[in-house]
Parts: sequence; C-alpha cells; structure tokens
Amino acid sequence: MMEVVNFILGSLVFPGLLFASLIGLLYIGIDRKVTAHMQHRIGPPIWQEFLDVGKLLSKEDITPAAAQSPVFTAAPLVALGAVVTVMLLLPINSAQPALTLVADLIVIIYLLNIPAICMMLGGYSSGSPFGAAGAGRYVVQLFSYEFIFILAIIAAVVRVGSLGLPTIVGYQAQQGWLVLDWRLLPAVIAALIAAQGKLLRVPFDIPEAHTEIVAGPLTEYSGPRLAIWRLAYDVETIVVAGFLAALFFGGPTAYLIGNIQIPGVVDFLIKTLAIVLLTTTLRNIMARLRIDQALKFFWTYVALLAIISLVLVLVVP
Amino acid sequence: MTFVVPIGPQHPALKEPEYFRFEVKGEEIVDFDVRLGYVHRGIERALQERSYLHNIYLSERICGICNVAHTTAYCQTIEQLAGIEVPDRARFIRTILCELERIHSHMLWAGIAAHEIGFDTLFMLFWRDRELVLDLKEMISGNRQTSASNTLGGVRRDVKPEYVPKILRTLEKLEKATEQYINICTSDRTILARCAGIGVLPKDDAKKLCAVGPTTRASGVDIDIRRDDPYDAYGQISFDVITEPDGDVLAKVIVRLREILESIHITRQAVKALPKGPLRAKITPKIEPNEAIGRVEAPRGELLYYAISNGTDKPERVRVRTPTYANIPSFKPMFVGGTVAEIPIVLASIDPCFACTDRVALVDSHTGKTRVLSFKELRRWKG
Amino acid sequence: MMKANEVAEVIKEYVDEIKIENVRRVFATTDEERCRAAMLALKQRDVQHLSTISGVDRGDAITVVYHLDCRPALLSLKLNLPKSTPKVQTITDIFPGAILYERDLMEMLGVKVEGHPDPRRLFLADDWPAGVYPLRKEAKK
Repeated sequence: MMEVVNFILGSLVFPGLLFASLIGLLYIGIDRKVTAHMQHRIGPPIWQEFLDVGKLLSKEDITPAAAQSPVFTAAPLVALGAVVTVMLLLPINSAQPALTLVADLIVIIYLLNIPAICMMLGGYSSGSPFGAAGAGRYVVQLFSYEFIFILAIIAAVVRVGSLGLPTIVGYQAQQGWLVLDWRLLPAVIAALIAAQGKLLRVPFDIPEAHTEIVAGPLTEYSGPRLAIWRLAYDVETIVVAGFLAALFFGGPTAYLIGNIQIPGVVDFLIKTLAIVLLTTTLRNIMARLRIDQALKFFWTYVALLAIISLVLVLVVP
Repeated sequence: MTFVVPIGPQHPALKEPEYFRFEVKGEEIVDFDVRLGYVHRGIERALQERSYLHNIYLSERICGICNVAHTTAYCQTIEQLAGIEVPDRARFIRTILCELERIHSHMLWAGIAAHEIGFDTLFMLFWRDRELVLDLKEMISGNRQTSASNTLGGVRRDVKPEYVPKILRTLEKLEKATEQYINICTSDRTILARCAGIGVLPKDDAKKLCAVGPTTRASGVDIDIRRDDPYDAYGQISFDVITEPDGDVLAKVIVRLREILESIHITRQAVKALPKGPLRAKITPKIEPNEAIGRVEAPRGELLYYAISNGTDKPERVRVRTPTYANIPSFKPMFVGGTVAEIPIVLASIDPCFACTDRVALVDSHTGKTRVLSFKELRRWKG
Repeated sequence: MMKANEVAEVIKEYVDEIKIENVRRVFATTDEERCRAAMLALKQRDVQHLSTISGVDRGDAITVVYHLDCRPALLSLKLNLPKSTPKVQTITDIFPGAILYERDLMEMLGVKVEGHPDPRRLFLADDWPAGVYPLRKEAKK
C-alpha cells in the first residue's frame, strides 16, 4: 500500500510531474531573461513561461482538418510522459532515484529519444508541408547527435564499469567528478554539444527554424496541445541537464554548511541551472547552421571528441 | 519527384505580404515563381489626380523605410519640371537626411538578415544601434521614421548649429559599432557558414537583368547614382562606391555594412560644410508643360521618377520605378540550385520592399488573388 | 560610358528629334521601325542598363518611353503609338531586364508587346476585367 502511494506521489509530485514542471518552466523563464540581457533587452519576467503555458492551456482547442488523427493528439502527451518518467530515474535528492532499475542508463537513453520521435510523428501527421519538412530535418538531426551522445555515455560507463546511474553517482562521490578525469573531458564536451542538438538550441534549432519553416513540426499545434509541447520541452531541458549533471558532474550531493544540512536537491538545482545557462550562452553567440552543415559538424569534430575519449578510457589505465 | 514549398503571403521570413512558390527536390530548389500585387495601392494613378504639393506626402508613403529617398526623388523631379534651383543649404540638409536614412535602412536590414540565419543576438544589437540614427532623424526632422522634411523647392526644417556636435558624437559611436560588426560578420564561423557562397548573383546576370543598388554592387558592378548622376550635394562631397566581387549573401552583407561607414563619412562632410542661406525657393502651383526625370540612390538602389506636366497644378503622369521592382528578376539566378534552408536569407539579401514594388496603379482598392508570375523565361539567361 | 552629345551622335540616324537638356539628360523621339535599331546601336556601345519603361496616355496617343542608362547620360527614347492599336516589338532579347516592365506596360496601358515570352498579367488580379487598363485616361475612378 505504502509503495503504491509513494509511487503515485513520486510520479505526480516529487520528483515527477509537478516538481519537474515547476522547475522546467522556471528555468526556461530564467533562460529567456538571461537571453534578453545578453541581447541588451529587458526581457520578460522570469515567471513568463508559467503565464505563457497557462494562457495556451486556457485557449480554444483547434485541430486543423488535415491533422485529424490520434497521433497528432497523442504525440505531445507521450513526449511529456516520457520526460517525466526520466525524472523518476534521475538521482535528484540523493544517489538513489525515485524508481530503481537495473541498467537504468539504457532506459534513460531510450526515453530521451521519445520526445524527438513524437515531434516527428506530430509533424508528419499535421498535414502541413512545414511540419513534414521539420520532421524530415529532425530525423537527420537525430542521427547526427544521438550516436555521439551515446558514445559519450559509453565512455563514462566504461570508466566506472556500471550501467546504473546510482552506481556512477556513488563512484563520483568517492573518486571525484568524472569531468575532472582528463580522459573523459572530450566526452563531456561532446555530450554538451549533443545536448545542444537534443534541446534544439541555436546553432541546432534547425528542425523548428522559425524563419525557414515557420515552427517545423509544431506549426499546426495550438492551444492546450501546444502548451503540453512547451511543458514537455521545458521538462526535457532540465532532464537532459540533470542527466548530464548526474553522469559527469557528481550528481546531487548533500552538504553540511555550519550545522545546516543542505539537501541534495539544492545541489541538483544548482548544477542543472549551470548547464542550462551554458546552453543559453551558446545559443546566443551563434547563427543557425544548415542541416547538412550540422550533420557534418557532428560526424566529424564532435564524433572525434567522443571517440578519442572512449579510446583513452579503454587504453589508458 | 518535386514538391512545392510555399513562402507567403504570410510567413515569418517575410515582413510584408508576397507569395513565393518554390519547387524543391529534397532540399534543392529547382524552380521559382512569385506572385506580386498583395500590397497594391494604386499610387501611380493617385499621383496624377492630386496636386504637386499633395503628392509629396503621397510619394513619402510609397515606402516606410526609404521615405526620404522617395520625397527627394519626387521633389527633385518636380523642381526640374518647374525649372527652379534649390538653395544650397537645403541641398546639404537633404543629403544629410538621405544618408541617415541609408544608415538606418542598412542597419534594419542587417538585423533582419541576422534574424533570418537565426542569430538573434546580433539582430538585437543591430537594432539597438539603429536607434542612435533614429534619434538623429527625430532631432533633425521631428520624426523618427517618416521625416516629412522635404518639400518642393527645399526643406521644411533646418539643421540647427546646436545639433552639429550631437550628430558628430553619434556618428563617432556608430562608426565604432559598425567597424565591430564588419569584424564579426567576416570572422564568425556560423555566419560565414550560412552566408558565404550562397545566393550567388553572377556579374553578367546582374548586368543583364538590370539589377540596381547594393544587390548589383555586391556582384562587382560599379554603379551608384550618387556618383553617376549626382543630385543634391553629392557632387561636392568625396566618397567611394563600395563594390565586392563575389555576389553571394556575404558580399551583400559586407557591401551594406561598408556603405554605412561611407554614409557616416558623407554625413560628417555635409554637416561640417553646411552652407548658410535660405531653406527653400518659391514654387508656383501650376507648372508649364515639360518633362523631367529624377534619380536617387535609395538604400536599396536606383529610384527613378519620371514626371510630365501639362500646365495645371496636377501632373499629367508620374512614373515611379522602385529599386526592389528592378531587382526581382535577379531572384531567379540566386535561388535555382540552392537549398530550402537558404530561402529566407537569400530572399532577404536584396533587401526587398514589396510595398514599393506593388505601388503600380490600380484604380480601386481591389486586392486579393493575383496571377502567378512565371520566371521560366528568365531561366534562359541563367549562365 | 557616354555623355549626352555622344549618345545623340550614336542614335541620330534612328530618331526624329533630339532634345539635350544637360550632359546627363537626353530626350529623343523615334518610330516603331527604327526603335530596335537604335537600341541595338546603343547596345553595341556597351549600354546594358535599362532603367525602366514608362507608358503615358497622352489623350490621343500612347507614348512608350524607354529610359536607357548610358552612364552618365540617361536617354529617354520615346515612341508615339496610335491609341486604337498600340503595339511595340519586345526588347527582352536586347535587354532581358525589360521583362517585368513590358508586362507592366501591357496590363496597365493595353500596349501590345509582340514577341514577349510571357505576356500574362503581372500585378492585376485574375478577375480584373479584360480590356480595362487602369492607367488609361478613360479608366473610371
């Protein structure tokens, strides 16, 4: 009985839907504010994302005639479900996540791809040429960053010798952060660049390039369904950041300052915010690449970084 | 198999309504069509139904961005018709306003171009610095945008001596900023990746298709009305005509940014050499039968006004040929063979102004459906 | 690169009257037969830029004006056409840039351009009535 209650609380409140949504919306609000300041604007208040999503949720629900299909409606919900599930698998308060699985890294890698796949399906089913073009670009982009992302993770896995995220976090608590290991540094850089592609941030916002293909797969979405997409994207942002934090940056650590016990969740929030702000900085100092240029960039420079790291981990003891 | 990518009439890459139809094979563009006429206002006909004085304000409203160029060209043409000389001081003030407008227009364009390639930070920075020019325009003419400063026989507002230090200070700031932007645009890897080598307009095509302005100067064609057919004070001022040989989008960016520097240089000379004297000459409301042509180098290129008078206070005919209209045939060689991702930036690269292009006369306010304009015939000249 | 008097020299055998306003403005009147010859002669002298084509309804006749940029001189070559059957030969083979201006001329003033590669409407709507030319004097307000 207790277990069921715990599970429901875990998936709906902390660290599930409610917590993930609040932090996701807040962090994107911070991202927008920081972007504004980088661009010499005042920018919206940091709770603007709450207002935007709230407004979208209260709008009329319109489905274009060409997009009348269950796939079109299900896509954002499945995407949101997938990223919230990843929240349950991430170490947030301590090395132990809300849901423990054997080899949870593989599950996380799969789940992190679901939003991308949902977006492609949503784009193809929307019946708009922009949606189809965006989905087509997304397929190419997925093939660009995903391999590198997995390679970088494998490098860390080989270093620690475990497929379990809690074990990796525990290892780092004793041996120091993996990012401080010179053999893994190239993999960390590659993973961060791949995350930029995963989160569709400049220079890799190609699938939803606003000036080229309107909003790509999201062109035909409006109202509550668009709100769910926004929410899924915002949660995905902290999930990816949190995943990288756990994998390379030591994960949540509880501190004792004076006599006050600082819970691990604070550390989690600080580390994810730092990673989100890094992606914010990157997206504000570059122009968008073309899809072929992005593909080439990933498969040459970034792949090289990840492979070097993997070889170093395997060869150098 | 090819499919059609529609751009417009409403599309985030277009700031004005116009319809472009791209036939694409995968990501490659194989054919290109355009529909014109979404912003028809019948201005050419309206110009011949109103008095010469009234027409200043109508011509000013042909284009929001290059309004000074339009009124300068219009007033110049009517002054030639009536055979009156504009006082020196007015000619210098017109030059100053024209150049400030060029700076602001190029900055506006550069911002939009940065936005088209997804570089929003640069977009905001360009527009921040554009505000400096708008402040100057507001100080001189009382308006940020539509200056309403030119009138038949001269100008309506003076550049007061106390304005001069402020103008020079702002120009200094702008010059530094522009030099930095040129530096960014020629060195940033992502900008180079998106702009270099795409949307190329070969020199031959530019000449054959009678392209004008920065579009053709970026293809290495050395034309500039300010030098070739000097008006206002340009004959008394030294400046260079900026050309770049490559013809790609990057060349168009560099030409425009370097033109900003040149405009700053011109404005500085004009402000310093501002002669004393009256602001306007008298003009009679009725003009004897005559014909005249006025040409101005607007920010987007050669702007031509051709007017015929018939002895009344209304013109017999005023023909307006705007720069974007002349540049539209050049789209074809720039697009075909490119990719879909290039469309927005190449479209933006001629700095299109569709309100200008569509000014041609319609008698009523009828808009709505127009025919597809085929560019098939233009492919024949594609090198 | 021709001044006004040089332009006048080049085209003098093809035109009826030449008015040189100043070094940079030349107005000349020609007729249908010699119009193309004049343009070809100019093309020989490296004139490539056609600034625009204007059409003017003079009441009893329609005047087509070709504005040719001879740099620095701007030549306006005028062609008077009868209002009942105004027609000209296309010049797109000499100046490809004329393509839109000729279409503009056709729909706005009803001048028939013979040999034009694409004689469809340019600006006017599809349902615009045939035979109504907005820039003609008789067109209703």
